[in-house]
Amino acid sequence: MSDQVLERPRDRVMVHSRRKISAGLVARYAVLAVTILVTVFPLIWLFITSIRTSSDIFAVPVHIIPDSVTMAQYVKVFSQYDTGSYLWNTVVVSLVTVVFVTVLSLPCAYAMARLRLPGQKIVLSLLLIMRMIPVIAFAIPLFAVFSNFGMLDTIWALILAHTASKLPVAIWLMIGFIQDLPREIEESAQVDGAGTLRTLIQIVTPLIGPGLGASAVITFLFTWNDLLLALTLTSSKDAETLPVGLTNFVTQYGIDWGPMSAAGVLMVIPTLIFVWFAQGLLVKGLISGAVRG
Amino acid sequence: MLAGPAIIVMVVILLYPLAYSFVMSFFRWDLGDSTPFIGVRNYSDALSGHQFQQSLRNQIIFSIISIAIEVCAGMGIAVLVNSKLHGLRLARTLLLIPPMIAPAVVGLNFRWLFNEQYGFLDAILRDLHLPIVPWLSDPNWALTSVIIADVWQNTPLMVLLFLAGLQSLPQEPLEAAAVDGASPWAAFWTIVLPLLRPIIMIALMLRIIDTFRTFDTVWLMTQGGPGGATNLVTVYAYLLAFQGIDFGHAAAVSYIALAISLVLLAILYGVPWLMAKRGAI
Repeated sequence: MSDQVLERPRDRVMVHSRRKISAGLVARYAVLAVTILVTVFPLIWLFITSIRTSSDIFAVPVHIIPDSVTMAQYVKVFSQYDTGSYLWNTVVVSLVTVVFVTVLSLPCAYAMARLRLPGQKIVLSLLLIMRMIPVIAFAIPLFAVFSNFGMLDTIWALILAHTASKLPVAIWLMIGFIQDLPREIEESAQVDGAGTLRTLIQIVTPLIGPGLGASAVITFLFTWNDLLLALTLTSSKDAETLPVGLTNFVTQYGIDWGPMSAAGVLMVIPTLIFVWFAQGLLVKGLISGAVRG
Repeated sequence: MLAGPAIIVMVVILLYPLAYSFVMSFFRWDLGDSTPFIGVRNYSDALSGHQFQQSLRNQIIFSIISIAIEVCAGMGIAVLVNSKLHGLRLARTLLLIPPMIAPAVVGLNFRWLFNEQYGFLDAILRDLHLPIVPWLSDPNWALTSVIIADVWQNTPLMVLLFLAGLQSLPQEPLEAAAVDGASPWAAFWTIVLPLLRPIIMIALMLRIIDTFRTFDTVWLMTQGGPGGATNLVTVYAYLLAFQGIDFGHAAAVSYIALAISLVLLAILYGVPWLMAKRGAI
């Protein structure tokens, strides 16, 4: 302190501003820490609940550290609540939807990005409008349509509904990725006599790997997470998905929080996997989907 | 030919049912034998009905408050952590989790956190000898609780969007402002915010569209209760269709919801456009 008194005024200003920066830095770290804590805590609490014993879950007063760790809730969720079939339906619906959406959206996006087609503007603006429509607006009529075809409560109805509802976003995403490619490569392929379809499959597809990946990850997660379409179109274990299973815990059995939180943890696992291993693709999909959509 | 299959699928599975339900919103459509034409009765019944008005009021409160908090908090956090901080990379990864997990799980999880006997939040209040909050059982609190869940899930997305926006900003105007001695606060309002306007508009648009279709979170937390206190428009339409078996009425409600979100988007984009046009003249 005593040397500072001897400093020239200009230096004192510098010391002052340096101290101000470090105070700002502390504030920044505090914001960052609080943000991280608030973001992860509810999920950690869900996980902690899922590894407690039932008597520990319903213990008063509530305590943070579990008395003992058990897998009993996970065993129960499969043995007592038949979560296996929910899980299987969810996996099949999500994976098949990803395949359908990818196969359908890629050629469509290519045509939109590269070829001049009549009515192209109309289709593009329709894609945008379809993104805005509340799911309930087509869930209700889809229920009626699939019931006319006897397709209610089948995973195929669910797959078709998801495929159609995820297509607009996937096409928008992929149009962006295709437009970012230099045209020359395709033109030279066409000079060499490759048709449009061959150019698409052999030249374009390998080049837009990240686009395909981003669209596949986004499609998978939004299908996996969906509740409303599955709740509308399914009514038995033949086709009900895990989110519908969660609602059945509430209405049918009262709320058995142990198995329910275990099922919640199971629901979150694919998100964690994709966030950890495909963060780049997810962000690309979200941000460019947001920017273009 | 390339675009054909995708367009056919969307027309058959999206557009056809939408058109179908738009037509049916003018009929009494309750899965009975006949579906008589009743004109705009479904719309007039909806607009004059107490439950619809309640759900619309809930929807507007829910949308305005959660969007306001998400955008402001998202911007605040993004601006504050947008520097070379240790742990920022980790934070970006973690922030991606809430927007990407199922809203149904968010609803379930908050229902558990908000549990009055065994939930974490009321346990903390009890430890602090504060009165506990009846988060989900009191009609005056329930909508707030739903908003909290939505804010938890979607603020991180706003942070990520705004961080991406901040990092693509040109550095020159900010450096010039710093040289001129502008405070960071002034620089934020006069330089950063105007430059971020496009991305803020996108964030607002996304959130308007999404809040108007919020269903899953509410369904797991309250199913619209207690006493309709958390009935949002989509929840109300679902209840009308699948518990009231009144499809025409439900279709009318879902179209009113769509119309309102389109009007909001038109205002969002139309007002700045008009102002720019008038300014140009």
